[in-house]
Amino acid sequence: MSSHHEPEDKILLGDQEIIKSDLLTLNMGPQHPATHGVLRVEIKTDSEIVVDAIPHIGYLHRCFEKHVEHLDYRGVIPYVDRMDYLGAMSMEWGYALTIEKMLGTEVPKRAEYIRILVAELQRIASHLVYFGTYGIDMGAFTTFLYCFQDREEILRLFEELSGARMLYNYVWIGGVWNDINDDQLNRVKNFCDRFEGELKKYHQLVGENKIFIERTAHVGVLTKEQCFDYGATGPVLRGSGVNWDLRKNRPYGMYEKFDFDVIVGKGEKGTVGDCWDRYYVRIYEMFESIKIIRQVLEGIEEGPVMGKVSKIIKVPAGEIYMRTECPRGELGYHLISDGGKTPYRLKVKSSCFTHVSMLPILAPGQMVADLVATIGSIDIVLGEIDR
Amino acid sequence: MHNELSSKLASLVSGSNPVVNTPATVGDSSITVEAATILEVCKALKSEGFNVCQCITATDYADRIELTYILADFTKNLEILVKANLGRGDGNGNNKETLPKINSVVSVWNAANFLERECYDMMGINFVGHPDLRRILTPDDWQGYPLRRDYIVQEKYLDMVVNPAHKINSADHMFGKNLKVEIGDPKKVSASWKSNDADEIEDAKDGE
Amino acid sequence: METIHLKKAIQPELTIAQWFKNVYYAVKSTAVGMGITFKYVWARPVVTIEYPEVREELPANSRSRLYNDAENCISCLQCAVSCPVDCIYIAAVKRPTDAPKIKTKDGTPIRLDLKQYTIDTALCMYCGLCTTVCPTECLTHTTDYEYASYTLASMKYDYLAPDIRAWRTRIVKS
Repeated sequence: MSSHHEPEDKILLGDQEIIKSDLLTLNMGPQHPATHGVLRVEIKTDSEIVVDAIPHIGYLHRCFEKHVEHLDYRGVIPYVDRMDYLGAMSMEWGYALTIEKMLGTEVPKRAEYIRILVAELQRIASHLVYFGTYGIDMGAFTTFLYCFQDREEILRLFEELSGARMLYNYVWIGGVWNDINDDQLNRVKNFCDRFEGELKKYHQLVGENKIFIERTAHVGVLTKEQCFDYGATGPVLRGSGVNWDLRKNRPYGMYEKFDFDVIVGKGEKGTVGDCWDRYYVRIYEMFESIKIIRQVLEGIEEGPVMGKVSKIIKVPAGEIYMRTECPRGELGYHLISDGGKTPYRLKVKSSCFTHVSMLPILAPGQMVADLVATIGSIDIVLGEIDR
Repeated sequence: MHNELSSKLASLVSGSNPVVNTPATVGDSSITVEAATILEVCKALKSEGFNVCQCITATDYADRIELTYILADFTKNLEILVKANLGRGDGNGNNKETLPKINSVVSVWNAANFLERECYDMMGINFVGHPDLRRILTPDDWQGYPLRRDYIVQEKYLDMVVNPAHKINSADHMFGKNLKVEIGDPKKVSASWKSNDADEIEDAKDGE
Repeated sequence: METIHLKKAIQPELTIAQWFKNVYYAVKSTAVGMGITFKYVWARPVVTIEYPEVREELPANSRSRLYNDAENCISCLQCAVSCPVDCIYIAAVKRPTDAPKIKTKDGTPIRLDLKQYTIDTALCMYCGLCTTVCPTECLTHTTDYEYASYTLASMKYDYLAPDIRAWRTRIVKS
């Protein structure tokens, strides 16, 4: 894959150099609905078979890491939202945990519960977007409408909590912004009860469908070794049969108190690590999220939602690397502080960035239509890749 | 864990000079190694079980650039920060030859491919032996390396003016400054300032 | 350049019995799916809002258009400092000592005369940090969301201008 730029064979015709190649170069994106954002994939095809795929990213680049050097620690949170705009709660939580660990801040119990609640609701919302849009990629439009309708309920709740539908700025350093009231908790409970049944139906409608299975099983297979080699995490890694979930293996927040299973791809309909397995992992993760939410609703206690944080946050000098499990994979914050009011350096390890780097090994040998299925199944968000 | 690893590294890779950095108060420890031996160190660490390269990141200090390799062991559930120090080289323009050099670790983990490209693009580090070292987030003809501390945004890119005056509201920022001149007594006026305006920040600090 | 072959899935050999099983499964799963869709035609409530005939009411603490009630502003600059994108521009002059004493709604004395209070909403990212630090709660997010405009300049709100002050009766909550 290393010789992308060298023309294959050079032939001299007279004194003119032409490139001997019967490969067709196709540009997929940046404005292609199946790339889920502004990803451009340069595809070389031999008739219908993809020979090589080179991802070109950076269309949404805004140099978040440079901005952060001029912002106070609270002002970073709105920027963090804008990375993975479909999983903003998890992004904020990861950042807040990083700073809290450096400051040694005690987070109140109620805030911890609310954080887990919103993070798991966010996971459901994010996977619903994946599920809906993946349906569209595969030619099934119906689920898209159903999923977005259910997601809207979650977003409405988030809007009431934080004031915004997608970019919340809700999880703050030391706690959360607003308290959740009993009426809202009740709504979450009703949502869980209703949604669990619906989700089973959606899975029947799409995942069990023979056409969908034909499109996704045995397609875009990633082995365990490839996943480790490329640093894949999250549902992509679990889809390849690796039992690895930071919520279990390295619990943060209060996850160690909760009872849930890690969903691992088993190759039920095809090979282990194919598109169907990644789909399966995400769908069943939603059921696990519902399980966690139910435990939150049982265990949530009264109390304050904001811990003691000084008005001007000064993080002691040092560095830290903190990983959390986000809907799309592991998100790592590497913070270097020099003791000032602003971070000296904040590097974000994005899971989507590593996943998109796997395209050159996933694509060769696939049909073009299968490439769409593959890109959809690794579920990328360009805001997080380009940062 | 860090001390064990560093003594192991010292015996496995000659000349790597591993030094364990323990944080003064809070945070993670790390191991600093000689930049020239990074490839051997990474190979040794991989054979020690660090099978995933999570992240490669660089930090610009005034006198050096510090590369951090964040490696993880998914079987033993460990992670480690390996550091290497490089000179700063000349980060202006778009010339690979003047940049600090270090061996690429793509041959050890393929994950390093994109991560090193990002490092090159953002911080200006030449990874020797990288199969495809191109800019990744910025366009190929971009000048300078944005995450360096002394980076200055180019004024023009192709035919476009970067940060045109009407978009950055210079007039609104200047309103307070002008008012100070108008009133004559700067102590009487309080005004907002731009957070990257160095003089104003100094003024504000004096006022505190 | 090596030739790349189509990745063929390793599948068990297709027997005639398996073929019929596949056909049966395909028909069955499609029928099940169609059944679910058919039920949903009536089982789902109508959610489409026919904008602009029907306008959605946003939740009370929704973060939409910013409004600063300049009469209650004490020019403390906290909003401008906390703003991550530097889109709030404030300038104020010390009130002369012989001028009549004025107070805000909640009784905080106003010691500075506001000369400039401009927010460039085109830059604003609606994070809500400025409203949370406001000590007199004069800067608020309203629930007004219909303010698209044609030019960048018209996105800059000068809250001391009379036409924008007039919004107070229209868009401010409570």
